[in-house]
Amino acid sequence: MMPDSNFLSTPLWLIEILHIVTLSLHLIAMNFLFGGIIILLFGNFDDKWNNPFVQKYIKLLPNAMAMTVTFGVAPLLFVQLVYSKQIYAASIISGWLWLMIFVVVMIAYYFLYALSFKQTTAIRQKIYLSIAFACLLYVSYIYSSVFALAEKPDLYKLLYAENQGGTIINPDVGSYLFRWLHMVTGAVTVGGFFVAFIGRKNETAFKVGKDFYLWGMVAAIATGFAYMMGLGELMKPFMKSPAIWLVTISFILSLGSLHFLFKKRFAIASSMLTVSFIAMIYTRHVLRKLSLVGFYDPSEMTVRIAWSPFLFFLLFFLLMVATVWYMLRLYFGKQE
Amino acid sequence: MNYPFWDIDIGYGIIMAAIAVIHVFVSHFAIGGGLYLVIAETIARKNNDQLKLQFLEKLSKFFVLVSVVFGALTGVGIWFIIGLLNPAATEVLIHNYVWAWAAEWTFFVIEIIAALLYFYGWKTLSAKNHIIIGWIYFVSAWMSLFIINGIVTYMLTPGDWVVTGNFWDGYFNPTFWSSLWLRTGICIMLGGVYALFVASRYKADDFKKRIVRFNSLWAIGGLAIMIPTMLWYVSAIPKEIVDAALEANLTPIKAMNATYIYAAFLAFVLVVFGFLIPKKYNIVVGVVAMVLALGWFGEYEWMRESIRKPYVITNYMYANGIDVANAEKYQEEGLLESIEFQTADKPADLFRRACRSCHTFDGYKPLKPAFDGTDETFIAQIIMGTHVIRANMPPFVGTEEEAQMVASHIYKQIDKRHISEIYNLDGIALGKKVYDLRCGKCHIFGGFNDKSETLLGSTEEDLGDILDMAGDFADEMPEFTGDEKERKALIDYIMSLNEKEKN
Ligand code: HEC
Ligand code: HEC
Repeated sequence: MMPDSNFLSTPLWLIEILHIVTLSLHLIAMNFLFGGIIILLFGNFDDKWNNPFVQKYIKLLPNAMAMTVTFGVAPLLFVQLVYSKQIYAASIISGWLWLMIFVVVMIAYYFLYALSFKQTTAIRQKIYLSIAFACLLYVSYIYSSVFALAEKPDLYKLLYAENQGGTIINPDVGSYLFRWLHMVTGAVTVGGFFVAFIGRKNETAFKVGKDFYLWGMVAAIATGFAYMMGLGELMKPFMKSPAIWLVTISFILSLGSLHFLFKKRFAIASSMLTVSFIAMIYTRHVLRKLSLVGFYDPSEMTVRIAWSPFLFFLLFFLLMVATVWYMLRLYFGKQE
Repeated sequence: MNYPFWDIDIGYGIIMAAIAVIHVFVSHFAIGGGLYLVIAETIARKNNDQLKLQFLEKLSKFFVLVSVVFGALTGVGIWFIIGLLNPAATEVLIHNYVWAWAAEWTFFVIEIIAALLYFYGWKTLSAKNHIIIGWIYFVSAWMSLFIINGIVTYMLTPGDWVVTGNFWDGYFNPTFWSSLWLRTGICIMLGGVYALFVASRYKADDFKKRIVRFNSLWAIGGLAIMIPTMLWYVSAIPKEIVDAALEANLTPIKAMNATYIYAAFLAFVLVVFGFLIPKKYNIVVGVVAMVLALGWFGEYEWMRESIRKPYVITNYMYANGIDVANAEKYQEEGLLESIEFQTADKPADLFRRACRSCHTFDGYKPLKPAFDGTDETFIAQIIMGTHVIRANMPPFVGTEEEAQMVASHIYKQIDKRHISEIYNLDGIALGKKVYDLRCGKCHIFGGFNDKSETLLGSTEEDLGDILDMAGDFADEMPEFTGDEKERKALIDYIMSLNEKEKN
């Protein structure tokens, strides 16, 4: 008998927690990056391309990109572990578009680095940043479309029967348009938070950040609501799941964080925002499960507990936290 | 086979190699370069060698860009591409080794943050702290190699895992340690060759002499580790894998020999230009050394990938994603049954599953020239015998009817004129072509599964008998289905060899 590979070596809940934690980190970095770029492009700063705050934020972008990619790897691993069939199938249907993600990210990276190394003319800055924006918009759209397709096994089977070349994009745009827009507006919202926070000592920057935070949130609530309304058959089970409570809580917390941000009480505003953020991610997770009901239930996957590999990981994970903390302290702490 | 098949015009081997070679090159370089930087920095600080510190700071800028951006993203690229090209195998890797991948990721996080801080910290950190961050970078980068090495080597030599399914049995497998130290040597060598490249653009003064010598010594140190560990690695590969390659698939053996040649040339360049006449180490030499290092590495990875044929995970899964455990079942019950994603064209579905991941029709490893001018019966019989062809291919795991279907699919695409017309050949030359097409896939004179003894000792009449009975020699051997003209030409060709043999 050969070993069967279709199993989990730790309980599902453990993997789900890790998935949600690492995905949150990824999305926070992504929002800093993507939301930040949108705000820099469309925000109303004085003498924008010479504004010291804008220059400061621009210098942070490549690092935010590095963190986005780095923290993106882990959740992709965990989601592929649990939903391998669905995710591989959906990504193969859009194969070329999916593969292009890493090329497009490389292009965005290039322009962000070019921007951050030395300040160039206003028009150049605008063009570079716009290119990076277009690249990231592409990435976000492909992610939304592929992950939405992964929740529709009937559809991807049908699509495959017609085209095997990996050049199609999920045609059921209605099922993910608002989901995607919700992610984008959410990024603008959180980006607004970062802008307000980093620019807290600079009145215009704070105001731009605050405004984007407010209007981004309005837009995110609107698109989120539209997405929910479009759930169709999923609506009923969704309303009955604990996720609906989470949505409500995160809605209230978001409003609360808005209030505190306006008062520049960042600690409490960011705590509320974080909790609301994680609740949203968990909601996303519940929705995926609901849409796969009848096709696949991860809790039915064979679990063959083997703790030693997990402990191997855990040890290194703790080491990572300690080392990163130590390095940041060396860097930002007082120099000897 | 629960996955759709990504049907693209580019050969899978090409697209995989394109991304993988860049990635392994950059990622190993990122490790060796890290060690180089921190050690060179320590020495330079001790001697208060400002010129060298400037050199290092400059080096680290590009270095961080390359490792953080290029290394990380091509790594993500590999992750994407294996999921597209071989989702079944990727699934096996993820399910068995998820905690190893996750542990690797923890070092990846440390590595990226350390690289950024090292780079930004030249001016802002104290010498001591800067060096500490440099060491953290190197150690975490090397640890990520340590971890991924277990998974990469597992694919070629899964060891007892195939029986036990135990994580550690597959992880610390027979080639784990040799591969780890070999790759460490590669890292060191690459770090040196890269630092040489940067130094090559400097003007030929005393500083250049000093730095080129230092860098060459470094790279030679890497090579010196690589040579014994390469021998160790090769000897750790189980004998049956090497024997199978020696017998049927010379690609990895050729690649292995090429690595020795590249290493020799590289050593020559390093000793002569790097050590004896360092001031002459100009940009051309710098590029040549980089190309040689890349060539070495490309051949090494090519060997590792190709010696694994017909498997992607030795003894567990074939390279086309078919699991060995169920092969017999498919052969009895049919392969189509198990293909979850189907189109209206069933023969094409079977073809994709069985052959398409390694072959195209007229691009990479093309099938068209292998079958042009032959017939459907022949093609079907070849399909039933792919595992005895000189290429270490997986067996076709479907029924005879399904082989027929695949053959009809292939037959549709090939040139249907007579062989003599396609290649414009006659007489003995035609006979040689017929031999190559109809026999040479499995029997090479003086080579793989040689039949000279039987064939070259025969009379024309015997040869005619052999062709008549061709289908009876072995289950896998096809009948002779060529027409009279081919038959005559083939016999004439073999008789002509016969004459040569006698003279
Ligand atoms: C694991 C990868 C793999 C798979 C799957 C595979 N092959 Fe091959 N095949 C090879 C390699 C490698 C060669 C050697 C090519 C060379 O020498 O250039 C080869 C050679 C051949 C040749 C000989 C070409 C010649 O020189 O005449 C034929 C015919 C062939 N394959 C047919 C098939 C058919 C039909 C299938 C599907 C039933 C198939 N192969 C599946 C890897 C594969
Ligand atoms: C698909 C692979 C394949 C092809 C193509 C093929 N053979 Fe064979 N042949 C075999 C196998 C397998 C055997 C039996 C086992 C062995 O000896 O390797 C065999 C055996 C033989 C033998 C057996 C005699 C002996 O001394 O063992 C002769 C002669 C022979 N082949 C000649 C030919 C000729 C001539 C052709 C071309 C018309 C041909 N073969 C094409 C696979 C093939």
